[in-house]
Amino acid sequence: MRREARGIRKPLLRAALLSGLLALALAGQAWLLAGLLDQAVFAHVPLGRLWPLWLGLLLLAVLRFALSVGARRTVFRAAQHLAQELRARLLRGAQALGPYGLRAQASGDLITRLVDGIEAILGYFARYLPQLGNALLLPALLAVCVFPADWLSGLVLLLTAPLIPLFMTLVGKAAGQASERRYAQLTRLGAAFIEALGGLVTLRQLGAAERCARRLDSECEEYRALTMQVLRIAFLSALVLEFFATVSIAVVAVLIGFRLLWGELQLRAGLFVLLLAPEFYLPLRALGGLRHTRMDALAAAQRLSVLDDVPPVSGARLAGGARAAPAGPPEIRIERVSYAHSGRAAALRECSIVLKARRVTALVGDTGAGKSTLLELLLGFAVPDAGRLWVDGVDLTGLDPVQWRARLAWVPQQPHVFEGSVRDNLLLAAPEAGADAVRLAAERSGLAAVIARLPKGWDTALGERGLGLSGGELQRLALARALLREQAAVWLLDEPTAHLDPDGAHAVEAVIRAAAATRTVVLVAHRLSAARSADWVAVLRAGRVVEQGTPLELERTRGAYADLLQAELQ
Amino acid sequence: MPRRLLAMLYPYRGWMAGGAALALLAALAAIGLMAVSGWFIAAMAVAGAGGVIINYYTPAAAIRAFAILRSGGRYGERIVTHEATLRGLAGLRAWLFRRLIPLAPARLSALRSGELFARLRADIDALEHFYLAVLVPAVVALLTVAAGLIVCLLVLPVATPVLLLGALSAGVLLPMRMQRRAAYDAAQTVRETAALRGLLLDALRGHAELLAWGGVSAHTERIDALAARVDARRTRLELLQAMTGGAVGLFAQLTVLAVLVLALAAAHRGTLAPPLAVMLSLLTLASFEVVAPLSEALAQWQATLVAGARVFELADTPPPFVEPVSCAPLPPAPAIVFENASLRYAEDAPWALDGVDLVLPPGARVAVVGASGAGKSSLLAALLKLYPVQKGRVLFGGQPVQALQGDVLRRHIAVIAQRPVLFNLSLRENLLLAAPEADAGKLERAVGTAQLGRFVASLPAGYDTLLGEGGALVSGGEARRIAIARALLQDAPVLVLDEPTEGLDARTARDLYAALDAAARNRTLLLITHRLAGLAHLVEEVVVMGAGRVIKRVPVGDYLAGERAAHMADAGG
Repeated sequence: MRREARGIRKPLLRAALLSGLLALALAGQAWLLAGLLDQAVFAHVPLGRLWPLWLGLLLLAVLRFALSVGARRTVFRAAQHLAQELRARLLRGAQALGPYGLRAQASGDLITRLVDGIEAILGYFARYLPQLGNALLLPALLAVCVFPADWLSGLVLLLTAPLIPLFMTLVGKAAGQASERRYAQLTRLGAAFIEALGGLVTLRQLGAAERCARRLDSECEEYRALTMQVLRIAFLSALVLEFFATVSIAVVAVLIGFRLLWGELQLRAGLFVLLLAPEFYLPLRALGGLRHTRMDALAAAQRLSVLDDVPPVSGARLAGGARAAPAGPPEIRIERVSYAHSGRAAALRECSIVLKARRVTALVGDTGAGKSTLLELLLGFAVPDAGRLWVDGVDLTGLDPVQWRARLAWVPQQPHVFEGSVRDNLLLAAPEAGADAVRLAAERSGLAAVIARLPKGWDTALGERGLGLSGGELQRLALARALLREQAAVWLLDEPTAHLDPDGAHAVEAVIRAAAATRTVVLVAHRLSAARSADWVAVLRAGRVVEQGTPLELERTRGAYADLLQAELQ
Repeated sequence: MPRRLLAMLYPYRGWMAGGAALALLAALAAIGLMAVSGWFIAAMAVAGAGGVIINYYTPAAAIRAFAILRSGGRYGERIVTHEATLRGLAGLRAWLFRRLIPLAPARLSALRSGELFARLRADIDALEHFYLAVLVPAVVALLTVAAGLIVCLLVLPVATPVLLLGALSAGVLLPMRMQRRAAYDAAQTVRETAALRGLLLDALRGHAELLAWGGVSAHTERIDALAARVDARRTRLELLQAMTGGAVGLFAQLTVLAVLVLALAAAHRGTLAPPLAVMLSLLTLASFEVVAPLSEALAQWQATLVAGARVFELADTPPPFVEPVSCAPLPPAPAIVFENASLRYAEDAPWALDGVDLVLPPGARVAVVGASGAGKSSLLAALLKLYPVQKGRVLFGGQPVQALQGDVLRRHIAVIAQRPVLFNLSLRENLLLAAPEADAGKLERAVGTAQLGRFVASLPAGYDTLLGEGGALVSGGEARRIAIARALLQDAPVLVLDEPTEGLDARTARDLYAALDAAARNRTLLLITHRLAGLAHLVEEVVVMGAGRVIKRVPVGDYLAGERAAHMADAGG
């Protein structure tokens, strides 16, 4: 936070200058007003003859308006700018984690941090920091104004002022701890509420909804109790502050009052000091009111900083060289490749497979055998810990990753649906594709039949705030994306038929076969019916290639493949 | 809307009235303090100048009393108003949750995502401000200004309209004008912030695909552009707010000057004691301290209206079923009958079930197969009384499901879903959701039957292990076995398996079969799947569905033979 604050030091100083001028204008007003009362009430000067004072008061009032608007505007603009930069940097930081790093983070939580966290930090820069400056600067300035008028009152103000932050700090420490507990409980309460709503159908099915409601009741009650605990301390600190301010104003008032009575002080000076005394404590009181802004911001900053020091993904991402990817369907040689996700057991151990051009290579094996990881290494989401991936004899790490990916088409296991229409979602794969190409891709993937059922056809909104698609429909969408990218020379398909009925699966397999005529196709399958029509099959088990060959050969050898086949037929 | 909100907060009226009263007390004490102090100083000066003896004990005591009342009152006010708010808020959350229960899932389809739930939570938090930031400041401002006006009327009647005019302009007219000018930007900001969240979510959850398809930078540019637009709006709003705040201050000073002119003129004429002139101007200045927060209160009021409208709209959604108060007892082995049942999810949606006739006598073991969209899930939704059928009817144990209490009906049907929903509770609590009173022996038996024993033994804290948000800490196969144990504990006469092995590899699926076999024993079994594959031995009959209709119903042997023939023909062709 400190580091960030340096970025807006200039606007903060400018705002402090404006606030200082504002305080001087205030002092000027007090001086004029005291003079006005003195002249009018005691010197019995006719009001008309006091016009310079009236005019001065009016002008200063307008000046205060302009200065206050100016100060707020200056700081807010700068803080806004800072928040904008911070958000952009954090988003890029999150993206830099790569698909693997991001998968380890709860995305809902990340969004909350990026939107609400930044909001809290904006509050810190736009409200708390300027007020902190005011609390330091304004009392000093006003004290300087008070001393020439009445040094005794000035002394009282100066002596009491440091007591306020001292007491506030003492109470604040205790409040800080209680506040952390409250924050944790709030997070838990929110999560419980959201989880209960998300699982409401299940809860109803189990007849447990009312019991869950009662549990929420008690969580709410606990949150209330904790919050009140925090607030009681916070309010106590406010009480202390106010008490001190009131007592010292009273002391000043009494001192002035008696010296007026005894004729030891000019009315003008007495009134002037009395008018300024409450203003002396005002910035400190306002700062106390903003303490929760600061605590929220610090908590948010702490959670945001997590984004800065997430451990890098094992093996790093494909940073890439400058070599252009070769044209035409490449032959990809996977040579003794090993990879482990950070902090976990190896996902791939010394895998060697050759993915021939114009052929379908199927990767089969149990869940967790490393099939998807292998596809993702080909996508460049991570670089192997050991071994090489050769694309037509060129090391994948030497290729330009953007160019390389431009030649890939990927059907992931769980395709993401973006906010937008069906058409927008398809065009992701090829933004410049024409209407005919889009229609053709939809027809060949079977997506056209899905679209025909949607309420607004091609323009139906999908995603978070739109319609949800079923597993089978999602796969057709992903396949249509792949078909739309005509220039793709490599197809990476992760269980493209998992959610389809037999007829649908057959149709999709036919599309894949046709595509293989001009492409290198890698197909991950847990159902062997899909693998049986492949040209080459590699069986993975616990990260190792335990067997490979043509489907017919493997069926005959009675090895791992035959085992899997047996398990499936049962 | 405000009236409904007030009605909801009615149970907490004692706290709320107490808080408002304390707030009023503190505000009046603050004004009294200023006014009396001003008068006191002036009177002392007058006395000093004239050499008169003055009784300074009474005003000094009044000042002390006001000071204590102000500090103490404000402390008490804060405690009581926050207590009132938090109590009201807790009540509101639980109230809303209970209102949503009967709406799921039929009326909540628009609220699928966690993001939207989060918005709902933010809306409820916004309602919190209704009392604290709207009601209390408004009441305090109204009564305090009224008290100031009365004092004014007694001391210097001619100044009363000036104070009234000043307070009205600064507290009502100015904020309303600002509100009108800010309305468009404020509404757009809310909308665009939601859109920004959506884009960010896509950027993070869809990152792998954006990366693969080369769309990262284009998407990031869209986010930056939208964020810049939101920021520009917010800067405008902030400026408007700063102007209003400044203008309120300006109005306060102008009013004080005007009152001062009148008071000093009266003092010169001798109709007003000079100390009272000083008192009146300080009273005016202090009155604006309760007027200034009104502009913020009005802004908050608008936000409350929007949030409240959203919350109430959701809470007022009529549930798809009116639950009967009581229902006749169900037979121990109920039959399931669909009579020409038709169901669609919206007026303009195609029929998801289109005249389904299906009879499942007690103890029947039937698989329902068909492509996605054939109506399998809708069949289950209608049976569980989660969605109403628009035509025909569904009978359970001889009674139409409409006439049965939903909870009673669902207690008789155990469902093992394709993606079982688990909660961030302990394993034990997850297992006992449907049968909280089950004893340890029953739990152990269910866990054994569901083949979960080894899994439980492997857990660090056994049954007390937390399963993580949405059961994130268990694998798909484990989650399904937990669901099986949960269903066994529910001990219902009807068991529904919804795609029980989908998404699992052959080996993991095979491990599940034994558990599924055991779960299905001695019950009516309804197996819903798009591929019968390894599950054929569980059932005796197969119902084939397509386009919302029952196409045929055949013994499982015939179905498999037909499948095999089709496959051969396929392979041969």
